[in-house]
Amino acid sequence: MTEVYAVGVGMTRFGKYPDRDAFDLGAEASLAAIKDAGIDPRAIDGAYFGHVYQGMNAGQRVTGHIGISGIPVTNVENVCSSGATAIREASIAIRAGEHDVVLAVGLEHLSSKFRGALAPEEGDIEGAVGLTMPGVYAMRARRYLADFGLTHAQLGMVSVKNKANAAMNPVAMYHKIVTLEEVLASRPIAEPLNLMECSPVSDGAAAVILMSGEKARQLGMGRAVRLAASSLRSGKVESEPSSMTFEPLTRETANAAYAVAGIGPEDVDFAEVHDCFSIAEALRVEGLGLFEQGTYLLAVGRGEAHINGRLPINPSGGLLGKGHPLGATGAAQVVEVVRQLRGEAGARQINSPSVGVAHCRGGKAAGVEGAACTVQILVR
Amino acid sequence: MTIASAETWLAGVPPFVPGTLKVGPDGKGYLVGGHCPGCGAFYFPARSVCSRCLCGDLERVPLCSSGSLYTYTVIHQSLPQFPTPYVLGYVDLDDNVRVAGQLVDVDVDALELGMRVTTQVEPRENPDGEQVLWFRFKPAATTAAEELS
Repeated sequence: MTEVYAVGVGMTRFGKYPDRDAFDLGAEASLAAIKDAGIDPRAIDGAYFGHVYQGMNAGQRVTGHIGISGIPVTNVENVCSSGATAIREASIAIRAGEHDVVLAVGLEHLSSKFRGALAPEEGDIEGAVGLTMPGVYAMRARRYLADFGLTHAQLGMVSVKNKANAAMNPVAMYHKIVTLEEVLASRPIAEPLNLMECSPVSDGAAAVILMSGEKARQLGMGRAVRLAASSLRSGKVESEPSSMTFEPLTRETANAAYAVAGIGPEDVDFAEVHDCFSIAEALRVEGLGLFEQGTYLLAVGRGEAHINGRLPINPSGGLLGKGHPLGATGAAQVVEVVRQLRGEAGARQINSPSVGVAHCRGGKAAGVEGAACTVQILVR
Repeated sequence: MTIASAETWLAGVPPFVPGTLKVGPDGKGYLVGGHCPGCGAFYFPARSVCSRCLCGDLERVPLCSSGSLYTYTVIHQSLPQFPTPYVLGYVDLDDNVRVAGQLVDVDVDALELGMRVTTQVEPRENPDGEQVLWFRFKPAATTAAEELS
């Protein structure tokens, strides 16, 4: 089967950009990825764009900015996994032989669309009773801490770790190291979760150039990183109440990706996971099979998930430290995984990794665990 | 206003989300769920097809008004139409279906995982200023005390 490689990556710094729009940010990220790949932009024969709130033909507004209009452009929306889904669709197009060189972009200007807590779609009954996304994860956190006999202080260490990583990442929204005391003293958003345990409203874009193996060899792409798997699943409707402290959706998506890549969780050297809230990081890594259920916060306490630990999680700073411009997030995770695998992550470089995972998920509707989940495995 | 007219009035108020609530002849409101005649699963909100056995003949049925609190939170930041703080929980109704809803008449410090609660269907003004039917949960003990008094 045709192999797919990530040959160029680029992203804007995540943050708040009151004077710019999503398309301008998308253009900056795309041009950076093209430059990083060192290719002629005319070689790009297809483009996929993921976003949530940027309106009609967002992708064409970016390609029009950067001189590659006319090529096939596809826009995808898959909540927080939109950028990751754009990468997946691009990889499928390459494997199908439809394209050789594809631009995949995630972009979002969230600060102009939202303030404060995100909530499910208005027509969803859970949104209509006043459920917010912080509320969902707060309830999962309460149950998780109770079921496994853990404390809020142990949970808060996830934020401390990720914000420390972000302080070493030039493209992160936050560069401020915080203490556990500061996390626990920050204002409550949805108890037990405090402000510093919630990912911020952010703007930004991230882009990846994907190439078929044949084309990459032909063009001599020396820094190419292989996209060994790019799996997607949607949340199943629950026919009875189930534990909210475990994620079958993450587990099933991960198992699909491990099978395609021919590896298991024991082969993973590091992961970027969807830590939209402090508790989310524990739920993700346990769903991915990287840590046993109920043990992750203890592992964080021992430093195992830190940059110099046994299995670094979110070396980029994650959503908590780097920011979370919804559609851009999944693409930005792949940018970080590629940079780490190439050994180009600067101060936050982890020790010679060869297998990295990017996990992204999002969306909420009544009676469904989650809407979309992606797991991508990159190998060098 | 007599009790009978209040009941009649409540029955004429539209639910906040179409098809999710009803008021019975006794004037008491209930959640409307989907029930699969094939495997017995309940859904809220109702679905067209059962996810477990793919039976397509789901019935619309009143859901049980009692259940236990699976988990909860106190929300301090929300959308403008929901003044904060408020308590929100996931309740496992006794028909084995989980429903999210606000909790009313609760002492936050006395909330416990697993505590018994009941559904309370009541009118509410929606963001457009119209009266709609919606629901909250309240502690089962409070209900008993009210009935005694």
